[in-house]
Amino acid sequence: MTAFNYPDIFDVAVIGAGHAGCEAALSAARLGAKTLLLTQDLDTIAAMSCNPSIGGVGKGQLVREIDALGGEMAKIADLSMLCGHMLNTSKGAAVRSPRAQCDKKMYQLAMKQVLERQPGLLIVQGEAASILTRAGRVAGVMTVRHTRYRAKTVIITAGTFLRGIIHVGLDSFPGGRYNHPPSSHLSASLKELGFKLGRLKTGTPMRLNGRSIDFSKCERQDADSPPAPFSHFTGGIKNPQLPCWLTRTTAKTAAVIRAGLHNSPLYSGKIKSIGPRYCPSIEDKVVKFPHHGEHHLFLEPEGFNTAEYYVNGLSTSLPEETQAEIVRSVPGLEKAEIMRAAYAIEYDYSDPGQLDYTLETRLVPGLFTAGQVNGTTGYEEAAAQGLIAGINAARWALGGGQLILRRDEAYIGVMIDDLVSKGVDEPYRIFTSRAEYRLLLRADNADLRLAPHGFALGLLDPALKENFEAYRGAVEEHKSDKRPARALGRGPWTTENARVEAAIEKTYAIYIERNRKQAERMKKFEGLRIPADLNYSGLKALPNEARHKLEKNRPLTLAQAGRLPGVTPADIQLLWVLLEQRRKARE
Amino acid sequence: MKLPDTSETIAAQATPPGAGAIAVIRLSGPSAFAAAAAFLSPPPAAPAHRMAYLLAAKDGTKLVDRVVTLFYRGPASYTGEDTVEISCHGSPYIIRTILNLAVKNGARIAAPGEFTLRAFLNGKLDLAQAEAVGELIASASAGAHRAAITQAEGAISGEVRSLRTGLVALLAEIEARLDDSYGDIPALEKRAFLRRAAVARKKAQALAAGFEAGRGIREGVKVVITGAPNSGKSSLLNSLLGYDRALVSREAGTTRDTLEAELDIDGFLVRFTDTAGLNARPATQLEKAGMRRASSAMARADTVLLVKDASIAETPSDRRAEKEVAASAAAAETIRIFNKADLPVKRRSTAGAETISCRTGKGLARLRGRLVARQKNIFAEGAQAIVTSARHFEAFFEAARELSALEEIIKNKTPGLELAAEHLRGALGALASILGETTPEDVLADIFKNFCVGK
Repeated sequence: MTAFNYPDIFDVAVIGAGHAGCEAALSAARLGAKTLLLTQDLDTIAAMSCNPSIGGVGKGQLVREIDALGGEMAKIADLSMLCGHMLNTSKGAAVRSPRAQCDKKMYQLAMKQVLERQPGLLIVQGEAASILTRAGRVAGVMTVRHTRYRAKTVIITAGTFLRGIIHVGLDSFPGGRYNHPPSSHLSASLKELGFKLGRLKTGTPMRLNGRSIDFSKCERQDADSPPAPFSHFTGGIKNPQLPCWLTRTTAKTAAVIRAGLHNSPLYSGKIKSIGPRYCPSIEDKVVKFPHHGEHHLFLEPEGFNTAEYYVNGLSTSLPEETQAEIVRSVPGLEKAEIMRAAYAIEYDYSDPGQLDYTLETRLVPGLFTAGQVNGTTGYEEAAAQGLIAGINAARWALGGGQLILRRDEAYIGVMIDDLVSKGVDEPYRIFTSRAEYRLLLRADNADLRLAPHGFALGLLDPALKENFEAYRGAVEEHKSDKRPARALGRGPWTTENARVEAAIEKTYAIYIERNRKQAERMKKFEGLRIPADLNYSGLKALPNEARHKLEKNRPLTLAQAGRLPGVTPADIQLLWVLLEQRRKARE
Repeated sequence: MKLPDTSETIAAQATPPGAGAIAVIRLSGPSAFAAAAAFLSPPPAAPAHRMAYLLAAKDGTKLVDRVVTLFYRGPASYTGEDTVEISCHGSPYIIRTILNLAVKNGARIAAPGEFTLRAFLNGKLDLAQAEAVGELIASASAGAHRAAITQAEGAISGEVRSLRTGLVALLAEIEARLDDSYGDIPALEKRAFLRRAAVARKKAQALAAGFEAGRGIREGVKVVITGAPNSGKSSLLNSLLGYDRALVSREAGTTRDTLEAELDIDGFLVRFTDTAGLNARPATQLEKAGMRRASSAMARADTVLLVKDASIAETPSDRRAEKEVAASAAAAETIRIFNKADLPVKRRSTAGAETISCRTGKGLARLRGRLVARQKNIFAEGAQAIVTSARHFEAFFEAARELSALEEIIKNKTPGLELAAEHLRGALGALASILGETTPEDVLADIFKNFCVGK
């Protein structure tokens, strides 16, 4: 069958309209790139396949960063929020993070609407079959229906859909989400291009009908009043807030699970791929922490217009029969009806060690990957990558510098550097403990850190720039105990914001200074690029261990090399001399 | 992470270790002048370029050494940076103390080849010379140098490792609570945490103190001179010292009490104890008391010089002296000295003995060398251990300081856990120079092992 050549040539083609794909398509189109967004199903745009929740410790900071760079996630989360909390309020500002339950459908539709209204963005329902290349560079996408979309750059944001297999008990079937077919062709296409793919696993709990839950046996947890918005620009949360409910597993739950382990695909060896340690299934928790009598479970509403409740803490791949017994063993859920069963999913990911900091693959120029396909987990991690990939792909096609965020600048920078330099061996989630400059990377200063990038890129409204600059000045004045001379002008940033921000900076002053000094030192090494073709095996002077590590990871910069365990300061020094010699010889 | 960084000030011994009477310690980097001025007295306000100053190196109020100091302003220095060269006496104790003072005042111990690396990076060496830099660093990091360091570190790496394991566990306690989105983890048990933190801090302090003291070398070699009356013990002491410390006469038993004197031989401290002669038939109570003191001095000796008058045949007192030495100084090395070699010889020297003449000076240089030979060997073998120990000192000193700050924070009514984590990370960072990085993955592994976290 002959292919149909779509008449336009795109600057950026995005495959997949999940959280990464939406941000990628929006940022590219907003930068003026002629953009295509290809999705298997228009009705699952921005679907929250697991918990309809945004934020959390570390993740909340990511959402604030996305917002400060001109991304969309924070705004949509504010619009659809149904139970918002600030976490870690008993701890310092540096680790405070917003988290919220959202109305699942409202989130999807709001995002879809933003996409639909975006000029320069073509949204098409269709499934990608293969990545087209010409002369080693990316040339477009071919769909399963033989339409050829020619494009200068392509961003793959396929989530968990690459050769996805769903497990419920010992039953398994292909799927990218419970009732959605996987993408079976794209993996083969990536392999053909030479990409190293791996396999990961994750899971989701069952959804219950709220009508059948006895909430009187649960502990009510109300939203903050009023909840803090994620976005710098929405001005607050307008939705009424719903409560979440806390209950716990019992000794009976543990007994039911132990009796059912022989039907567990995890414990019978059917699932071999690795799941996230920080999001363990209930069978994992019971087996690994046998002395814990009970585990917390949160019952979280999935929307204003549905009775479906998400059972946070009961992720499992045990068979449906056992799932029913587990649910009935929990106080308040004795009569609860399961509407959707819990399941585990295995999927292909592309080793992120094959990426550059821009999220462009090193193998195929013009081809980018972002989101869960890079081995991460979480909507926030995906969205942040999508945003960076969208910006860099648009710049690639239209010209302009790359956007690379440093580890001392953003959690986004920490995440991408971790992915690129270390790869993953379990689904990667952001934690504040991953950030060595944690006190610099706060939710409260995401705007001070990143809005300058947002304005410079043109992703933030230029009309607000004056307000932001005035705010920035006012924070500095407050810090040196001067009263700001003038009003901040029209915009979201207020003098009260500036006063609060300055107070936070002052409490951390000594530590911020310390972090900054460390970061300053590191900057020089971040700038020292290691040539991609450097032949480590020729460097006999390096000790074997260091040579193997460097060869395996092929760090992009000297700083990245220094972060590899097993590479000592002396090795870095030697590498530095070798790089300098090469440079001087060229001069 | 600790990468070699030219914005830091580095210090190290520039002369070959253990070689001479004078050692040169070099500081280089932006705060080289300030670091040196902090322990040199009187600190020159604006030291002139390449001008030598005679200054006192002081540890607090305690005088460590009088040193000749040269200040070089960058870029007119070997490294191209501000550089201070301190010439001190070559005793390992002095060298180590001065290096420790430099570290305490903001310098860090240079990595192997780092001065040359900086010279290269600052354009002080051309490309041809740069080849040599790579080789220097390579041999320093991969070859004998690294082997020496590894050996020296092997001795304490077990302790450092257990210290680090303890700190990672403490950090996991904090990080787990900071990254807990669901309030699943109970509040920190402050008392237990503080106990563990104090144990770690004390361990770091003890390790730092151990390296600071360097007891063995500081106390010097203890040499006891013994032998029959009138065999020339005090003459030997005076000859070795080069001045008359002891009263000497032809009469036997001139030395009644023990007599102490110190001598610097090739940069090593030697402490002599001259004793009363061991008489086979002591005449007086006083003489007996003197002999008892001689025996107890021998019991503490590293080396015993058993002096015999070669111009007379063996006497009963000589035999008594042999017996006393065998009984009292079993642990010490015994060197038999056949003295008065300028006179006609009446008995033959034995194997391993030294033949000398205090009058002509014959054999004295050889004897001096022999007294510190063992020390020289230890020092040569442990040469890197000296530098390494200064590096260790820096690591432990820093770790202990961070842990003290940690304890202060945890003691607060509402401790700032994110600040506590900063200090724990600081302590682990300090240890990184010995064992390499502690990665966030190490900490996460501990969290997931010990806490059931996650939805």
